[in-house]
Amino acid sequence: MKLKLLSFAAILACGLGPIAHAAEGELVIGTEGAYPPFSMADANGNVTGFDADVGNAVCAKLQLKCRFVVQAFDGLIPALNAKRFDIIISGMSITDERQKQIDFSRSYGEFPNHFIAKKDSELAGAKDLDTLKKDLGGMRVGVQAGTTHAAYVEKNLPDAQLMTYDTLDQMQIDLASGRLDTSFADVTAQNDFLAKPDGADFQLVDVVIDSSSDATLGTGLGIGIRKDEAELKERINQALCDLGADGSMKAASEKWFKMDISQTCK
Amino acid sequence: MDWDLLHRAVTTIGKGVGTTLTLASVSLALGFCLGLGLAVMRISGNRLLSGFAEYYSAVFRGTPLLVQLFLFYYGLGQFDFVRENPILWWVIGGGMHCAIMALALNTAAYTSEILRGGLMSVPVGLIEAAKAAGMSRALRFRRIEFPLAIRQALPAYGNEMVLVIKGTSLASTITVLEITGYAKRLMSQTYAIFEVFTIAGIFYLLINAALIFAIRRIENRLTSPGR
Repeated sequence: MKLKLLSFAAILACGLGPIAHAAEGELVIGTEGAYPPFSMADANGNVTGFDADVGNAVCAKLQLKCRFVVQAFDGLIPALNAKRFDIIISGMSITDERQKQIDFSRSYGEFPNHFIAKKDSELAGAKDLDTLKKDLGGMRVGVQAGTTHAAYVEKNLPDAQLMTYDTLDQMQIDLASGRLDTSFADVTAQNDFLAKPDGADFQLVDVVIDSSSDATLGTGLGIGIRKDEAELKERINQALCDLGADGSMKAASEKWFKMDISQTCK
Repeated sequence: MDWDLLHRAVTTIGKGVGTTLTLASVSLALGFCLGLGLAVMRISGNRLLSGFAEYYSAVFRGTPLLVQLFLFYYGLGQFDFVRENPILWWVIGGGMHCAIMALALNTAAYTSEILRGGLMSVPVGLIEAAKAAGMSRALRFRRIEFPLAIRQALPAYGNEMVLVIKGTSLASTITVLEITGYAKRLMSQTYAIFEVFTIAGIFYLLINAALIFAIRRIENRLTSPGR
């Protein structure tokens, strides 16, 4: 009897496992959930942040219901192709490498990237990219796995000791504990760290590194869409244009970043 | 089949084999010594010692290795006194050292249970005979109890070694670049998950196959030909 019950429970558990297929009228959005202020998931699985606002606004335009699925950043593209969700909104930059795997919407924003360093360090005083690159030789540089920042450091700083982390939190802990000399991320993620007590001794290195510096950094943030979904892509692009035109993108950006990073349709 | 990709995957992931082997061998060596100590404490008859060994084994076997790894690496790394103590920071500060410590402490708990079983299986008659022959306690342990216990425990200990090899893959979560670490990095560059992790799996399989083969050989040699 017990065994019967147990096997019944097991079968039930298998059947009711994670159902990834979107219900009718639902748009399932994959996001990282641990990358403030883009995407923060709380213990209940509710996602807030800039990505959540963009997602909800797009859903409203498309007249669909949003559902967020939280997934580590380096697994987002594989999971999209495995149809675990319909689109990715996760502060993801549009790059050539990623475009081999998935399509992107038009860009909806762009950020500069920065290294950060201890306030009194030599690194903090670097004023141009060449000096900075030289200073970084042999240093322990933290990046998040699967990001454009990881690709940038790997390509442009072969002498640096690259340390990859699954989440931003883990990287920030190692910065605070002194296991890292510096980290490379976009300005909003870095400012998030600097605003914390642990980040008090750190500052941004005053060298802006944007997508014009290197192709690995991509061409702005895009919404990831599977390659065979041309129609969805068209509708999302239209929604993004509308949101840019009516000012909701600007409002969301200023709410989370205190600056306007949105890009409007020309 | 993309041969260039496979070639790249084998060479990239192959770079991590040395680190995986170092992680496993150093932590197994440390863990064996610790485990032996714990096993002896456990059967010593001293209630304090055996109680400590029992709780140690319950704590380390009852919590996941990943949790232990995060506790040591990220958890302890947050305390100032750990960071300011050069010896502690030598152990906790680097991903490699920290992973070795966590793996060693973890496998010590399992090893102590395995060895305790082996030691308890030594027939009382043999020990009494050794006593009657005038052997000291240390000599008795070295010549009689330990060799017999090892022979008894080897199959189970071989199993534990395989588990440690597989456990090293968790070191990739604390920035150590071993087989899985390189595989994850390559995955985020190429997105060829299937190929990349198949190759990684094959590397682990080869290491473990060699290990199991070696243990079989030792087992056969230890078994007396008369039986």
